[in-house]
Amino acid sequence: MKKMKNSRTSTIVLHNLLIAALAIFWLIPIVWLVCTSFSEYSGMNTSTFFPEKWSAIHYSKLFHPDSVAQFPQWFMNTFIIACFTCVISTMFVLMVAYATSVMRFKMRKPLMNMAVILNLFPGMLAMIAVYFTLKSFGLTNSYAGLIMVYSASSGLGYLIAKGFFDTVPRALCEAARIDGCSEARIFFQIILPMSRPIVVYTVISSFLVPWMDFVYAKMILNAGISSKYTVAVGLFKMLDKSLINSYFTLFCAGGVLVSIPISILFIIMQKFYVEGITGGAVKG
Amino acid sequence: MAELKKNVGQTVGGFFKSIGGFFSEFGTAVIKGDIFVKLSLLWMGAGYARRKQYIKAAIMTVIQAAVILFTVKFAMEYIPKFGSLGTVKPEKVFNMKTMKNEFNDYDNSFQILLFSLFSFVVWFAAAVFWMRNVVNVYKLQKTAEAGKHVNTFLEDLHAYKEEKFYVTLLTLPVLGVVIFTFIPILLLIFVAFTNYDQNHMPPNSLFTWVGFDNFLSLFGGGGLTATFGYAFVRVLGWTLVWALFSTITTYIGGILLSLLLNSKKTRMPKFWRTLFIVTIAVPQFVSLLLVRNFFSNGGIVNTICSNIGLTGFLRDIGLVSTSYIPFLSAPGWAHVMIILINIWIGVPYQMLIATGVLMNLPSDQLESARVDGATPFQIFRKITMPYLLFVTGPALVTDFVKNINNFNVIYLLTENVYTTTNQAMANSQAKEVDLLVTWLFRLTQDYYNYKMASAIGIVVFVICSIFTLVAFNRMIKGDREGTYQ
Amino acid sequence: MKFSKKVLVSVLAAAVAVSPAMCVNAAEEEIDLTLWGAEEDQDLLKELVGKFEETYPDQKFNIEIGVESESTAKDTILTDVEAAADVYAFASDQIYDLQKAGALADLTEYDEAFQAVAGKSIEDVKNANSESSVEAATIDGELYAFPMAGDNSYFLFYDSSVISPEEAGSWDTLLAAAEKAGKQVGMTLASGWYNAGFFYGAGFTTDLNDDGTTSMDWNGTSADGYTGVQVVQSMLDIAGNASFMAIADGDTSNQIAAGGLCAVVSGTWDAQAAQEAFGDGYAAAKLPTFTVGEDQVQMGSAFGYKFVGVNAYSENIGWAAVLAEFLTNEEAQIERFEARQIGPTNKVAVESDAVKANAAISAVIEQSEFGVIQRVGGKYWDPSKTFGENIAQGKIAADDEAGIQAALDNLVEGVTAPVE
Repeated sequence: MKKMKNSRTSTIVLHNLLIAALAIFWLIPIVWLVCTSFSEYSGMNTSTFFPEKWSAIHYSKLFHPDSVAQFPQWFMNTFIIACFTCVISTMFVLMVAYATSVMRFKMRKPLMNMAVILNLFPGMLAMIAVYFTLKSFGLTNSYAGLIMVYSASSGLGYLIAKGFFDTVPRALCEAARIDGCSEARIFFQIILPMSRPIVVYTVISSFLVPWMDFVYAKMILNAGISSKYTVAVGLFKMLDKSLINSYFTLFCAGGVLVSIPISILFIIMQKFYVEGITGGAVKG
Repeated sequence: MAELKKNVGQTVGGFFKSIGGFFSEFGTAVIKGDIFVKLSLLWMGAGYARRKQYIKAAIMTVIQAAVILFTVKFAMEYIPKFGSLGTVKPEKVFNMKTMKNEFNDYDNSFQILLFSLFSFVVWFAAAVFWMRNVVNVYKLQKTAEAGKHVNTFLEDLHAYKEEKFYVTLLTLPVLGVVIFTFIPILLLIFVAFTNYDQNHMPPNSLFTWVGFDNFLSLFGGGGLTATFGYAFVRVLGWTLVWALFSTITTYIGGILLSLLLNSKKTRMPKFWRTLFIVTIAVPQFVSLLLVRNFFSNGGIVNTICSNIGLTGFLRDIGLVSTSYIPFLSAPGWAHVMIILINIWIGVPYQMLIATGVLMNLPSDQLESARVDGATPFQIFRKITMPYLLFVTGPALVTDFVKNINNFNVIYLLTENVYTTTNQAMANSQAKEVDLLVTWLFRLTQDYYNYKMASAIGIVVFVICSIFTLVAFNRMIKGDREGTYQ
Repeated sequence: MKFSKKVLVSVLAAAVAVSPAMCVNAAEEEIDLTLWGAEEDQDLLKELVGKFEETYPDQKFNIEIGVESESTAKDTILTDVEAAADVYAFASDQIYDLQKAGALADLTEYDEAFQAVAGKSIEDVKNANSESSVEAATIDGELYAFPMAGDNSYFLFYDSSVISPEEAGSWDTLLAAAEKAGKQVGMTLASGWYNAGFFYGAGFTTDLNDDGTTSMDWNGTSADGYTGVQVVQSMLDIAGNASFMAIADGDTSNQIAAGGLCAVVSGTWDAQAAQEAFGDGYAAAKLPTFTVGEDQVQMGSAFGYKFVGVNAYSENIGWAAVLAEFLTNEEAQIERFEARQIGPTNKVAVESDAVKANAAISAVIEQSEFGVIQRVGGKYWDPSKTFGENIAQGKIAADDEAGIQAALDNLVEGVTAPVE
């Protein structure tokens, strides 16, 4: 009996060791990122894993902007853009999801098929056309332009939310309708409160888009005014051939600072992610 | 395949049937409607005015006026030039007094194309709206003739909170998609049939229609160098290999990791899960650029490898011909490394999804299997795995398509690092590690070769749609929607 | 209105005669201008713009300075010429593409305005700058940009505590000295900008045709009587030497800092890195000679400049041209040298003692004698990069003449392909 217990403990230890080993492996680049950001040397360190001299000087540099690095300003820009994107995107996604999930109308199927088709096109290609569309509205180099790019087409990503709404028992809606509730009230007072995981999931994932995108932002913010950049564009520009050697560590420090809030959001989100995304997939 | 045909047939058939229905409805309305319905063809507010719905009549009149104004002031500037895409090149005269240039009224092919398409879309919408309007007015006439209650404006408005609530919900999102996705895609489809490239760049030059020439040089060509056909086949091959491997590896990896983490033996599962999630929380342009420097020819991993003698060993057995290990700079090596690095990025995502699915495993089945004495492995093979596949199967298809278009991973890992040694690839500005999307991105960004990029984009689309159609028809028999409701 | 115009013209004529600095357009209207320069130039540009505004106090300006690297200016500008800055700095190899896309104004067209405002003619500007820089800025006889910097080329940095000036004279002695010291000599081969140096040195040429295609004779025999195969063999010998390090494009400063090099082929932008790495031994010289057949042949180089151009679609093109010239005149070039150790093109500035005392700039000037203004089209870069990478990795055998010839034929075919 005792022996068996021992072997069980040892498998448990082994099991957890395996996980730990994997986790360490997964974290190596992240650890390197953090370590490098604390290096005193501002170029790329290629000979040793850990920096030769430790220093937090690059973090203080981030908050004392020069013409290249205006991190606090970028952070603010991205934050503002992210807030608007988040509100508009979430609204659009939930609206489309509700309409396609709960309501029935003639154009429903054609619209959904259209969405599938549009999602198959490589979006990169449409970039130049999007740029000129924005330009003809005079919206390049503006927050409004970027917010539109990030959120205008967000309705196309309605599928996960729709999957979740599909799981809400239809009987509830029917009962509400018989009670004389309008569709609008069903949406706001029945479906939304029951769909907290997917709402949180949508909010966070749309909030993150502006922090991650560098392709569109680089194209639309093309006036070269660095105080207008988003974090992603600003950091990306630091890796320009002529700058990388004096800004690499700063880039790492910036990367760490951006990652902290995003990581926190992700950690909050994981529960809702699991419930939201799979709740929809399982039952719908 | 037969099933696929049937399915497509049904969709297409249904589509035409509904269009036909719409037209016959319109026809009936025009023929059977009274004079005001017929008058609505000219003045969209006529029918409403007759039924004393003055506000609606006013709104319709304003909309009609707006469309006419749009046509005269905007559309007619561009659409007449659609056939030629412009003929007037810019010319300028310097004005000494203002120190400014005075330009002639020159054409910009791109603008003509974009605004023409925009106008076509508006016209199309207006036409549908106009026809619907006649049908509605005819309905109104019948309601009134039957002596039923004719809705007041407020009642009509109220309907947008009730049975027509979907209109309220969908208007803005659809508008956004049309302007920011649909029209741009449409435009790029048209560009594939023009000669829009570095020699024909607006505003300084004009481009024009060339028919199928770009597709011919993509598929035809022949010869070894400077033809897109040669590079295209290879890039397409790698794109498919990449999509297949990256999808499968992260999928399996995610399931294994979530099984590992959700096992009863795991202590502190939440803590471990959080650690893995941190790796995906770092923005990709930071983490991937970092990993790229990590593995670069003169990077840390190479320094370490050569210090511990691994590089020398690999050179001795002939795997490496250079003084470094070309992790991301030689074909073969780079291909494998990219897929491995993608596992690093992709597995935590899949782990999260698999975790959610596993939580929802039908426990009664598990219980009865356990009672019957099944081993854990048997349970996994017979119950867990089929269930996972059933639930996440459709997601697997979308993942595959997403990976075909996975720009970030490939671009961030190989741009400026990977140099092809294949002269024929280089002559077409392609690399062995390019996906079709990264290739077309570089063609537009560095070479302004929009016509070829568009042609490639259309091919990507065709591949994705064929794959999606086949896969969805095989995996999802019938419409699963509503099964669980 | 008509009257005022007449008055203005006569005033103008008088102004030209009396006071060159007099403003043409004394209107109240504020002139909006945007200006793009390199990240490192931002502070300097701010200062120069301030001076510019002081120079023309009668005119109100609103000048916005943006960041656009000189090496990538073309990519951003060509995406949307009309949205690009009125005045921008760029590397000279982009001038053909920019001019072709209509992004560069023909400056001679604004000569009149220029004389009226700045008090000098385009001809004066041409005379003030070195002939070769003006030549590089001229297309079909018309000046399309103002030369700003004359050191956009590569030469040899070396550590004189390890390598003597004589040893730095040829690749053979250089590599031997490096081997003795247990260090390496670095150069970027996988770039059509660097590897062309060998071919230009041996008398081969590239040229840009009117239709945007490139002509190239590297697979034949050069004017000096060498064959392309011989040049490639020599390059393969160098690349195959254990003391040679083929550096990836853009990785040079990083490798200098890593400390394994005792000599490196690079340009003034790496002067600081080299100074830090080599310490007191820091020295610079023209490129070494290399062995072709039996002869020692001086390496050539793709010689480039940094220019300031004016956007042809600029709203206020007259003032834009005046500003562009102001940013590149003698005082500005001296100031730029003092701030950033950048080699001038202005004849007076070049002759100053401070410039002459600068090792890197002296080396650039020394090398400029063997430099070639690289006239190539867009199809040149990818094939020549791959060609260099093949040599760097030793993918071709030095004794396989047929293989080398085939590789060269392939290269030429790719480079000379029609532009799509």
